[in-house]
Amino acid sequence: MTDAPGEGPALELVGLVKEFRGRRVVHGLSLAVPRGCLYGLVGPNGAGKTTTLSMATGLLRPTAGTARVLGHDVWADPLAAKAVMGVAPDGLRLFEQLGGRELLHYVADLRRMPQDVSRPRAEELLTVLDLAVDADTVVADYSAGMVKKISLAAALIHAPRLLVLDEPFEAVDPVSGQAIRTILRRYVATGGTVVMSSHVMELVEGLCDRVAVVAGGRVLAEDTVAALTATGSLHQRFLELVGAGDVSEDGLTWLGG
Amino acid sequence: MTLLIVRLRLRMWRTALSRSSVQLVSAIIGGLVALGAVGLLGPSIALLAARPLALTAVTVPLFAGVTLLWLVLSLVATGVDNVLDPTRFTVLPLRAPELARGLLAATLTGIPAVVLTLLALAQVLAWSSHTAAVPAALAAAVLGPLTAVLLTRAVTSALAGVMTSRTGRLLGAAVVALATLLPLVLNLLVTSGEPGLSLRSLDARGAAVVASWTPVGWAWGLPFDVATGRWASAVVHLALALGLLAVLWRVWVRQLERVLTSPMTSGGGQHIGRGRLLPRLLGHSPTAAVAARRVRAWYRDSRLVSIALRTAVLPVFFVVQAAVTGTGALAGTGVVTLAVFAGLTLMNDLAFDGPAWWMHVSTGVRGWEDRLGRVVASAVVFGPVVALTFVVSVGIGAIEAVLAWLAVVVAAFGASLGLAAGVGAVLPGTAPRTGGNPFAASSGGAAQGCLTALVSFVGPVVLVLPVVVGAVLSRGSALLGAVVVVVSVLYGAGLLAAGVVLGGRHLDRTAPEMLGRLGQVQV
Ligand SMILES: Nc1ncnc2c1ncn2[C@@H]1O[C@H](COP(=O)(O)OP(=O)(O)OP(=O)(O)O)[C@@H](O)[C@H]1O
Ligand SMILES: [Mg+2]
Repeated sequence: MTDAPGEGPALELVGLVKEFRGRRVVHGLSLAVPRGCLYGLVGPNGAGKTTTLSMATGLLRPTAGTARVLGHDVWADPLAAKAVMGVAPDGLRLFEQLGGRELLHYVADLRRMPQDVSRPRAEELLTVLDLAVDADTVVADYSAGMVKKISLAAALIHAPRLLVLDEPFEAVDPVSGQAIRTILRRYVATGGTVVMSSHVMELVEGLCDRVAVVAGGRVLAEDTVAALTATGSLHQRFLELVGAGDVSEDGLTWLGG
Repeated sequence: MTLLIVRLRLRMWRTALSRSSVQLVSAIIGGLVALGAVGLLGPSIALLAARPLALTAVTVPLFAGVTLLWLVLSLVATGVDNVLDPTRFTVLPLRAPELARGLLAATLTGIPAVVLTLLALAQVLAWSSHTAAVPAALAAAVLGPLTAVLLTRAVTSALAGVMTSRTGRLLGAAVVALATLLPLVLNLLVTSGEPGLSLRSLDARGAAVVASWTPVGWAWGLPFDVATGRWASAVVHLALALGLLAVLWRVWVRQLERVLTSPMTSGGGQHIGRGRLLPRLLGHSPTAAVAARRVRAWYRDSRLVSIALRTAVLPVFFVVQAAVTGTGALAGTGVVTLAVFAGLTLMNDLAFDGPAWWMHVSTGVRGWEDRLGRVVASAVVFGPVVALTFVVSVGIGAIEAVLAWLAVVVAAFGASLGLAAGVGAVLPGTAPRTGGNPFAASSGGAAQGCLTALVSFVGPVVLVLPVVVGAVLSRGSALLGAVVVVVSVLYGAGLLAAGVVLGGRHLDRTAPEMLGRLGQVQV
């Protein structure tokens, strides 16, 4: 771990609470993601992963609690926090009238990057993520996986110190998936930090350093992958922790009957 | 099925209202406007019963006009006709006629259709002094609103179908632009025809005959035909009205079938050129990036193309009308109106971005940069149009008090841009979904639209008034005129800056909340 002494965690969530119209979906969630770590966030549907990551990245105002990115309070000093962070949310659209290349240039310009840096980077990202052929197609005509990849590229272009990715591998083909894994590992090896959510336990187990299991807006378990998988696969651990709701043998018999 | 869709619509409406107080407030305003329309217009129409036939006949052109306006409004103002988007039903095993019946019922139970129906019933009362005409008026009250609703559905769905391809998009935009101008053309014809119209001596019979032979007037002409004893034309009108309904129904069902089997997309494989001109013109700051993106949207986005065309064609008619009638004030007002409209197009810019706006939030774009970028885009797109119209109007002699009008135009453009930049940061408005039906309206969109419309109508008038007063007072003196121009430039710039700064600050404070709302503004 490249965690230098005296430095705080890359992402620190303290007592995050979110209520939607009186319904509490995140209950005082606290997490500390060390620097240089590839951190996995897993949990069942509706666990609050997207909500938590949105609050950590300044996209959703928490009802209570604080989020700090590399020492910058996301909600007290949003500009400083956003400058060192790259975000690829899940389920939010992109500016679809722009082509893939234009989108990258757009994000780079919004982040005040000099052109002689941002333009070559955009080309490199497009090539590595296998989007070069479609760089001049508007994002509206991209497939789901292509949208995921261009979002990732847009999050990477300013070389952030912290990457927050919501389900980055969803709908991505195996070849691009391998490319993304390589990018993320290399990024972490050079001191960057990644926080990503995923539903694919095998992927998290093979890729991440640490994992937090979230359910019902609370952290059920948080440890290194090695410690969590000491007694079995992450898949099994996950089912144990969140309680597997077995479909009973005689349920849904009308299906296909 | 029909009942189910009506219930679904009502439920969506209720949910939208219970979720946002802005929507609640503007729904109440909308409801009051509707009540006012019925309460004021209804009795006046019904009281026509006590008037001679020559005056009662006014219902024919009146309601024919309303039917036409209905169509035009639904083309212009998305969000007026709040009907469910048929593409939402594509995955259900529904046959098009079933769905059409349901959507029709949902429209007919909406506030606008109810208002129209109530007014149509007032029309029946208006004909109550001619006993024989009452059944005919009742028939008109049934057929007329149906025609209005079906006409709108058929035309908008057909256009939406056409506009999925790129050339079709331009074609559709041109049709919409021209259709919007139809009332203006009519106005042009009327004012050039008979000057000095007075209500007392009004003989509406001529107009009634003309209107009753237009497609929108076939149904409404029935009671007039019967009251004047022209049974033959009554029969023809009835046949035509019924035939029109049948045709419109067929067109609509056919379009629905198409939508249900092949949901609309934005026209696949849209390749784009590498724009080099805009960056060279504007630079690469965040403000410039936002401006360049919005300028591109004005020609890439089918939802915006028709708005742009319409706004650009609008002034031509004012200027022509001014040249025909010889009233200079008309040309001047036309240019001012253009400037105001052009500025106000900025009002729901955020809604057109929709949830994609998260990219501004996560990159830490300052609120003022977001606002200013959009202002620059609107200025780049519409500034030349406004300037050109003004120069041409002056050139052909339609505008004489050049300095005075210049001052008002500049102030109007600045003020409406500033107003839209400021208000648009608080009320994002609504917009059709990207790549979806450009005429689809959101449930509850009409409600928020009312509040925005109120601001859009009253705001520019109040803001420009001081400059108008100044311009009028300075007439005759070239020196004073020049002073007023300078002051109005400063005034417009000041309002613009105020809109950008205040709107930007509000966005900075409430960006996450705005992002949450933008998740719901597109349908
Ligand atoms: N805008 C919202 N309004 C109301 N409730 C919401 C909203 N967004 C999320 N929720 C609720 O918050 C809970 C957590 O949702 P969230 O999207 O964070 O789950 P998730 O862990 O990302 O699930 P998934 O694995 O399916 O992506 C859910 O119960 C959801 O219904
Ligand atoms: Mg999620």
